[in-house]
Amino acid sequence: MLGKKTIKGRIGFALAIVLLVSFSLLPFAQILSTSLKHQYDWGNPSLIPQSINLDAYKELLGVTEPEQVEIPAAIQKILNNPKLSEDKKQAIAAKYTANDNLFPFGKYMLNSVIFSVGAASFSLVFSVMGAYSISRLRFKGQVVIQRSVLFVYMVGGVLLMVPLYQMAMNVGLASSLWGSAFCLFLIYIVQTLPVGMYMLGNYFRGIPFALEEAAMMDGCSRKEAIIKVVLPLSLPMLATVFIYCFIIGWNEYLFASVFLKQYPEFHTLPLALQELFVSKNAIWDRIMAASMLTLAPIVICFLFASRFMKGGKTDGGVKG
Amino acid sequence: MAAIELKNIVKSFGDTAVVKGIDLNIEDGEFVVLVGPSGCGKSTTLRMIAGLEQATSGDIVIGDRVVNDIEPQHRNIAMVFQNYALYPHKSVKENIIFALRRQKVDNQDIERRLTEVSEMLQLEALLDRKPADLSGGQRQRVAMGRAIIREADLFLFDEPLSNLDSKLRSHMRTEIGKIHNKFGRTSVYVTHDQVEAMTLADKVVVLHDGYIAQAGTPMEVYLNPANVFVAQFIGSPSMNIIEGRLFNDYLQVGNYRLPRQQLSNVALQTTINEQGLPVKVGIRPDFFNDSRLFPETDNTFNFNQLQIDLIEPMGFDKEILFNLAGGSVKARLDLRSEFKRGERVDLIVDLSRVLLFDNETDLRL
Repeated sequence: MLGKKTIKGRIGFALAIVLLVSFSLLPFAQILSTSLKHQYDWGNPSLIPQSINLDAYKELLGVTEPEQVEIPAAIQKILNNPKLSEDKKQAIAAKYTANDNLFPFGKYMLNSVIFSVGAASFSLVFSVMGAYSISRLRFKGQVVIQRSVLFVYMVGGVLLMVPLYQMAMNVGLASSLWGSAFCLFLIYIVQTLPVGMYMLGNYFRGIPFALEEAAMMDGCSRKEAIIKVVLPLSLPMLATVFIYCFIIGWNEYLFASVFLKQYPEFHTLPLALQELFVSKNAIWDRIMAASMLTLAPIVICFLFASRFMKGGKTDGGVKG
Repeated sequence: MAAIELKNIVKSFGDTAVVKGIDLNIEDGEFVVLVGPSGCGKSTTLRMIAGLEQATSGDIVIGDRVVNDIEPQHRNIAMVFQNYALYPHKSVKENIIFALRRQKVDNQDIERRLTEVSEMLQLEALLDRKPADLSGGQRQRVAMGRAIIREADLFLFDEPLSNLDSKLRSHMRTEIGKIHNKFGRTSVYVTHDQVEAMTLADKVVVLHDGYIAQAGTPMEVYLNPANVFVAQFIGSPSMNIIEGRLFNDYLQVGNYRLPRQQLSNVALQTTINEQGLPVKVGIRPDFFNDSRLFPETDNTFNFNQLQIDLIEPMGFDKEILFNLAGGSVKARLDLRSEFKRGERVDLIVDLSRVLLFDNETDLRL
């Protein structure tokens, strides 16, 4: 019979699901596990740490006091030399007490948040405007614009990386810190805009135009009708588009590595992580804890979004 | 409240003209029904009055303003949409008072008007629900409430009852009639349902192919249709149009000769040559009477010995079909007349109800 579930079928289905889920979740489990292990435990293939070690997290989140580094006795002797000028003494002392072992996770996270939230916000605003115009307005060249917007999405980032950087150099943007940041910002917006417009455009088409007309008859201008009727009804899709843009920006490595190379203080998390991997500070628990913390906002975003993405918002507005 | 004037309104979409020149005066407080078949331009005309479509040419005057270039939100018009167009994310209450909030009406006034409207439309129990939780009839009432709570100059109805089942439709039709009687506001109502047109309208405007075929009171368009289109569109079952030939003294319909002098509703007085003038003869099914129940007078004509092809009993009425002058003709009689199929009957017609139309132009003679 159609749709009848046999025991065998159910077990097979469950097994397939478990396999699929574990395949995609195992790397995450590995990250989590390693981030919680003590150094002596790193080589242990078990996913469950012998004892929980939260030091890496504490350190990354700046909860621990920075270690006081003792100045070696030999250096102390030099410093005690009265002939040395005060300036030089301080410079030497700074060199030996500087705790450059520390990974400024908070700063990188803030950079990432600024880039990805900022770009996602702008992208969302432009997506709304673009999607509305291609789905509702009639103008010359509409179809061409509609299609060419998606064309941007077909060209891979690697292909565009060099020409974009050259262009940024030519207009003089890449030579300054703010110019580079601006370029990167712009690239994130341009990269996410096509899909945002596409998703929102389709969603807007599903909202009956009669609702806007009703709002206009009730005294709204077209803009107000969009704000008061179309946008509230599109909340699930707006959230989806925002999160999509946010994740693209949050995980982006390629363009950030090119444009922000010279400006370590502006590095985003993917860049910083990459540097952490190859640095002399390649301490596994710290790397994994940093990876875990990088993942966290995205996981939170998805949990938050799934609450928003209950569909059927436009039900009951119009008949037929 | 306001009077409306449409001056030679034309609307084209690309090369396709939908409204081809409409002149119409709607008086203050009048209930005007635009009626016509699909694609006749009635909804487009309504939407041009609303400002949702821009007229290609012509002027629309509401009150003393030419509103051609005034945005819909500044025209002070309330509208009920065919598909209700309720805001799905707002409760019934918020839907109804949305326009008042926009107009910054003070809260006390809003509450008072909301109470009044929700009582009138029996919406009190539904105020906190969302449109998705309402039945079709309830949504329709909310859409009505959203319109009548406003003190608009003009009320527009775009086929508001077409999505309801027939029972609810006739109930809401009565309600709309009552509401109009109570408030007496200028209203324009679009429908393809001629029953709604006849029952609600002060003035019926029959549209055909982008033109006004006729405008007048419901009884005018029913009794004195200007052309074959109106004659057949208004009235159910529709008017019989029979081939005939008009001579100087009589009107030949099949084997019957109707005296011309007594066709009092025919304006044509010219003399006609010997071959006679081919015409279309219009007789409503309702104007045939059973000769056994109605006495013949000087003004009636007896179509005797008509053979019944089909009987359609409708309860109180019955429709009988017979052949006259080569065409199938329908008559509506009431339950007192008992017939069998194939039987021959005598039907009499009041000659003042017989209408003639030009064979070429379809216009009334």
